[in-house]
Amino acid sequence: MNLVGYLLKLVFKFSAVILLLSQFSCATKSNFKGIIVASKGKIESLDPAQATKLLALQLISSLGDTLYRIDSQGLLVPMLAKDEPEISKDGLSISIPLRDNIFFHDGTKFNAEAMAFSIRRFKRIGNLTYITKSISSVDAKEEFLLRINLSKPSSSIKGLLTSINLTPISPNSYSKYKDKFLINNFIGTGPYKLKTYSAERQTIEPFENYWGGEVKNSGITFVNFTNSTSLFSAIKTGQVDVLLSNSVEDVHSFALKNLSQRNLLVQGEGPPMEIGYIAFRTNSDILKNKNIRKALLFSLDRDLISKQVSYGLREPLKSITPPFLGINNNSPWPDYNVEAAFKLFKEAGLCNNKKLTLPLTFRSNVPSDKLLALKWQQQVNRDLSNCLEISLNGVESTTIYKQLSEGVFEAVILDWTGDYPDPYAYLAPLLDCIKIKGEVCVDGEAVTGGTFWANEALQESLLRSELLIEEERLQELRKVEKLAAEGAALLPIWHLKPRVWTRNNLSKPEFDGSGRLLLKKIIKGNE
Amino acid sequence: MNRSRSLLRYSITRLLLAPVMLWLISTLVFLLLRVAPGDPVDAILGIRADYAAREALRIKLGLDASLVNQYLKYLNCLIHGDLGESLNNQEPVRELIAHTLPASIELGVVAIIFAITIGLAVGFTGIARPEGKTDLLGRLFGIGTYALPPFWAAMLIQMFFAVMLGWLPVGGRFPPNLIEPEGSGFLIIDSIKDGNLQALIGSIRHIILPASTLGILLSGIFSRSLRLNLSKILNKNYIQAARSRGIKENEIIFKHALPNALLPVLTIAGLTIASLIGGALLIEITFSWPGIALGLQEAISQRDYPIVQGIVVIISSLVVIISLLVDLAIAFIDPRISY
Repeated sequence: MNLVGYLLKLVFKFSAVILLLSQFSCATKSNFKGIIVASKGKIESLDPAQATKLLALQLISSLGDTLYRIDSQGLLVPMLAKDEPEISKDGLSISIPLRDNIFFHDGTKFNAEAMAFSIRRFKRIGNLTYITKSISSVDAKEEFLLRINLSKPSSSIKGLLTSINLTPISPNSYSKYKDKFLINNFIGTGPYKLKTYSAERQTIEPFENYWGGEVKNSGITFVNFTNSTSLFSAIKTGQVDVLLSNSVEDVHSFALKNLSQRNLLVQGEGPPMEIGYIAFRTNSDILKNKNIRKALLFSLDRDLISKQVSYGLREPLKSITPPFLGINNNSPWPDYNVEAAFKLFKEAGLCNNKKLTLPLTFRSNVPSDKLLALKWQQQVNRDLSNCLEISLNGVESTTIYKQLSEGVFEAVILDWTGDYPDPYAYLAPLLDCIKIKGEVCVDGEAVTGGTFWANEALQESLLRSELLIEEERLQELRKVEKLAAEGAALLPIWHLKPRVWTRNNLSKPEFDGSGRLLLKKIIKGNE
Repeated sequence: MNRSRSLLRYSITRLLLAPVMLWLISTLVFLLLRVAPGDPVDAILGIRADYAAREALRIKLGLDASLVNQYLKYLNCLIHGDLGESLNNQEPVRELIAHTLPASIELGVVAIIFAITIGLAVGFTGIARPEGKTDLLGRLFGIGTYALPPFWAAMLIQMFFAVMLGWLPVGGRFPPNLIEPEGSGFLIIDSIKDGNLQALIGSIRHIILPASTLGILLSGIFSRSLRLNLSKILNKNYIQAARSRGIKENEIIFKHALPNALLPVLTIAGLTIASLIGGALLIEITFSWPGIALGLQEAISQRDYPIVQGIVVIISSLVVIISLLVDLAIAFIDPRISY
């Protein structure tokens, strides 16, 4: 009893010291009126020609404007462009009228020459030059008329014009950075201008000469936390005002969703741009048999896995384009069906004392991948233990990306987010093949993506879709997805909405159609 | 040969060996990074960039050169004090280290102050009444801190003091609503230099949890070491002789026993500081502390070779220098030590 009393006394004394310190430190509350936005990951570069990470793109989208944006209904809305793009009859030239009276943060004027400078610079030094592969040249035809010449007709070019990577920058401020990156500054036309920058923390403040309406808050500070638990705790305790969902684990997202349902936080959701899928290496000894691959498509219970892995936050997906892009009314991939899987495995000579062992690789640094792999393994043990056994293999993502095209993985869990909200930004990167031998791709995206699967008819449809517009184009893209489902090289699992949570003293956050949070609309009031 | 000359010879030998050791370490890191799977180009562009873009970037980053040429270039730069540029964003590695190292040193020093204060207090109060209640608790505390996994302890402390009680911030190094003082990168010192009280309090509030967690976890080494050494020394003949002469117990402990018992503690403190500079990774991750260990971990995951090489070389240099200084300090304090 004495010992316990003594221990309690010690704890009491220690707590008293901490309490004293914290009370003293209450004096640190300042009159800062801006919004503090937290997320995981540093911003290592603010150069639109270099930025690839979601957080950097989110920040650049606040500092700059694109020619067009996709609204929440999926429609193309002119931003720096004055009107819809005008496409020539042969489809090789696009004329874009630009708004006048727009200024960069350095006070210089935005015009067609500035836009051309930005696109040319991106083509010259940009990391993701494949984005502008179809653009052969850019000219300023008039002061406010931009002409883009294409090497081949491309109906997905409209979507491309919404890409954050093509955000215009001031030729004046970037004159010394024509051929190199400017990582710690950004001079654009956006609603905010950069005030301070470090990889861990950036502050932006409203741009007084912004052309596109009033910014409804007095500035934003982006802060970086290194793990999901800290992010969750930071919004819960009020250390930050807004939390972006990138890299927040599902368990925390679910808890935050519950808090928002109890009106303790406010939740906003964007269009589900991210899809999760399993890629099968179709030229491997195990998986070259299409029946086995098809059986695998039937063997996965998406609904169960979605509920148990992500509490339903990741919605089951039976296509490789997010449903909001509207190309599929009927999902081309099959439903979970144990009988059908069993029948196909049997046709492939399995199940009669012969079991297939499928090595499934997951990214060890992505918690949802690991849970998905474990859950599918358990589910297969329950449903198809005579025919199939899944052996798990966790590998760090950088290693997976390096070895994917080397054909190391039989089956691997991956995800993909389109560079812009267009079906082509999903289908081409997942299926495109430049050189085909039989049904094996020897060069192209299918190799990079680890499936090595190709189909002549699908490639033709994909190319044709670039020449078509509207409903005809969608029909062609539907055909592409149907052929991809029949090929069974990819198994779509789920799609994920970007989410954001704010404290109750902030207005409800909104996303645009590209999944970017519209920061300028957030109002901070009293809790 | 007299003692000071042999000490000088020892110091010169150690200093001459240091570049050889650093060369070995940097060569090993260079080779291991290249052997490890993963490609910096994939880490930068992702897997979907086309072949031409990937090759263009590979050439731009100098990764197309042969391994021997890459190594020779790396060594040449290193000799000239050039640690290279990040592959990821072309930021000079020197700047990156200059940005993160002060954060780690600040955390390490404050943590060591916590560790020594708690450790010595626990160890000393234990030996004051051997086998008593305080001694038992102190020993339990010492063993407990050894056994606690750092990330678990850090999460518990974060949960209790930051989330449940809300007394201190969850993580980070500085309040997001204030502007960081510029200068040396040591925010506490810079805040004092600027006379900015808000910034000073903000910095202290942010450092308390990570530093105290680290300090508590390390204090066990100090308390155990002090207690063991002190109990050994208190049984020595010269202490018995002092007691028999009627010298007061406090005087015996503070004047005769404690200085000798502190010598091993000094060695431990030196080595702990050196290892802390590069090794407080789990604490830095849990408390989102933007230190060098976190930078190293991120660079490894992105296969950013120059950053990893640069950080390892700097940390190794610091370890070599600090351990040399500790050896010299001990040799200076303790006349019994010869080299």
